Amino acid sequence: MIAGPLLLLILPLVMAGVVYILLRWASLSALLAVGTALALGIAVVTLPLDQPVQPFLFWGEERQIAMGETVTFLGRELVLEQADRMAMAYLFFTAAGLFCLAWRSAPHSLLFPMGLGLLSLLSGALLIRPLIYAALLVEIAAALSVFALQAEGQPPTRGGLRYLTFTTLALPGVLVTNWLLERYALMPDEIGLLSMSATLLAISFALLLGVVPFHTWVPAVASDSVPLVGTFVLTVGNGAVWFLLLDFLETYPWLSTHPHFGSLFSTAGLVMVVVGGLLAPAQRRLGPVMGYGALVDSGGALIALGMHSRLGLTLALLSLLVRPFGLALMAIGLSGLRARSGDDDSFDALRGLGWKAPWSTAALIFGGLSVAGLPVSAGFVWRWALYRALAPASPDSALLLFLAGLGVVVGVWRALSVLLVRPRSPEGGGNPQSTSEGWLTAAVVAVAIMACVWVGLFPQILAPLAARLAETYTFLVP
Amino acid sequence: MPTLADLLARVSFLAAVPAVAGILITAGLLVVSRDWRLNVTVLILQYFFVVLLLTRLIRPEVAAVKGLIGWMICMVFYLTERRASVLEQASAAEGTAPSRRRRRWIISARASFCLLAGISVSVAAYMAALRIPLPEVPGDITLACYLLAGLGLLLIGLSEAPMQVGLGLLTFLSGFDLFYVALEPSLAVAGLLGAVSFLIALATAHLRVAQVTAGSEGKTP
Repeated sequence: MIAGPLLLLILPLVMAGVVYILLRWASLSALLAVGTALALGIAVVTLPLDQPVQPFLFWGEERQIAMGETVTFLGRELVLEQADRMAMAYLFFTAAGLFCLAWRSAPHSLLFPMGLGLLSLLSGALLIRPLIYAALLVEIAAALSVFALQAEGQPPTRGGLRYLTFTTLALPGVLVTNWLLERYALMPDEIGLLSMSATLLAISFALLLGVVPFHTWVPAVASDSVPLVGTFVLTVGNGAVWFLLLDFLETYPWLSTHPHFGSLFSTAGLVMVVVGGLLAPAQRRLGPVMGYGALVDSGGALIALGMHSRLGLTLALLSLLVRPFGLALMAIGLSGLRARSGDDDSFDALRGLGWKAPWSTAALIFGGLSVAGLPVSAGFVWRWALYRALAPASPDSALLLFLAGLGVVVGVWRALSVLLVRPRSPEGGGNPQSTSEGWLTAAVVAVAIMACVWVGLFPQILAPLAARLAETYTFLVP
Repeated sequence: MPTLADLLARVSFLAAVPAVAGILITAGLLVVSRDWRLNVTVLILQYFFVVLLLTRLIRPEVAAVKGLIGWMICMVFYLTERRASVLEQASAAEGTAPSRRRRRWIISARASFCLLAGISVSVAAYMAALRIPLPEVPGDITLACYLLAGLGLLLIGLSEAPMQVGLGLLTFLSGFDLFYVALEPSLAVAGLLGAVSFLIALATAHLRVAQVTAGSEGKTP
């Protein structure tokens, strides 16, 4: 019998090695990476937790898979629970989508093998008990992601270095919290231990989620690295941190009943929204616009969680589900434009490129609209619901979030106005590196845009999933 | 042939205030110096002093393994910087050499600022060790932890160069490790923390190589 948790850890690692060897053949490596992520995602969603599934042949022997079986690994338990199951499905399906886009936007990049390796580590972070080991696995994942974030032949990425730095700084808080809580279990009279734990956890997760003033890694990752790898970090990596936070809240319910829980999350979210909304339109490069857009999006999700209600939790989870649509579109747009401007995404270098790379431009615009939460895009689905939920009790927050979305739109609009400048003559904007986008790339971009619009037009696709996911967490039930 | 325990017993007289003083000097030198040869040597010594202090908290064998990981990290840095210096010398030979007088003046100003900042952080660490003692560890080790963490953070904040940030992260982690082994003596945690340190070293070495490669490619026509 094969235990499900072991399968989720080992298979991506093995495939990471295979994909690395085959990296020279872009289509084959992409196909393997997409197939592995999709297969694991489907297995996590469809295979039952309470009983082994139908036997299958493995090297001539009949084997069964028991997804719900607890495994002991180096003395620690690996458990696949209902909430983790949905979380892991999110990680695997998002990764599959990003691998698919990377097939056209970043072939031969280390995203495929490293992405699979990161999936294994982040799955381990969600499966392992006690949770302190999760922090260590997230840290190892952050160190590994630096290799993929660094583009070939480019100067060292500030984004990767900052991401690694902030993740490392977050590590002590989470590890010490575990010791403090064990001590509190022995000495329940010492309430100070709980306050210290809550403070350390708040600081650690602020570092991991890029809460202002620890946000500098977010725009740096978006601007100074391979765009799709940056998106992988901001969606899959960040998503794992979000689910880890929810696991902490579920494991230690006193955290969510803390008197400052709501105000802490709301304030942190609002500061992120304001900073992102103010800085996005002031940028003169496309990468940082995407980064500050992601900051606004994360801030909105924190505001939703700060509502301290089931609806708020559902909206925060919905924001996680739709975030990859916008950020991935922006990333493929950015990749396409950078490829034609000598890896320079400053507005001066992008002048008139929209006519040469129309599909990349379209991807950037639709992605930007989704990240800003505008109608007919995936991002609007949860943003509109959040405006409505916030308006009666906290209209100021709703207004600030809306204005921050407009700030991101202004940033994207400025980029669009530069991209669509008409060249003075047919030779005027000539660039020796410019090439046709190709019908295959156009088809991939078109499908991604349609998916983004489709989710925006039919919110009933993802909203019930977020609601079901929210139901698996009980820490908000009075 | 002396065993590991015998060797550690011979230098055990250093495993108190002298080791803390050694950590202050080595971490301070890392903050001030930008010479890779000096930095690698100093990092080797820093790991030696950390291992000496660790022997007071955990089994000597485990402390020795942590030291070995640290010295392997030093080896990674040495090989990376050696390769980088060869590449940089090659690209410098193609371009014009910068004014030596001007360069010396710039280094002096930077080093003075770093020294002042290092002294401030060391004083802050001393005050913190007096006022906020860490649980489960003696006072001198508390001071060593604060020194390593504080000077490591300073190192991270003072530069965006991959190797300096890497040295800062490793110094910070050494300080935390020195404290955390007293709280959680589990071998699994020790192993994972060792893996984290080693991966940080590899990641920063990778970025350093990228820095040099991009620099040399930029200079070739």
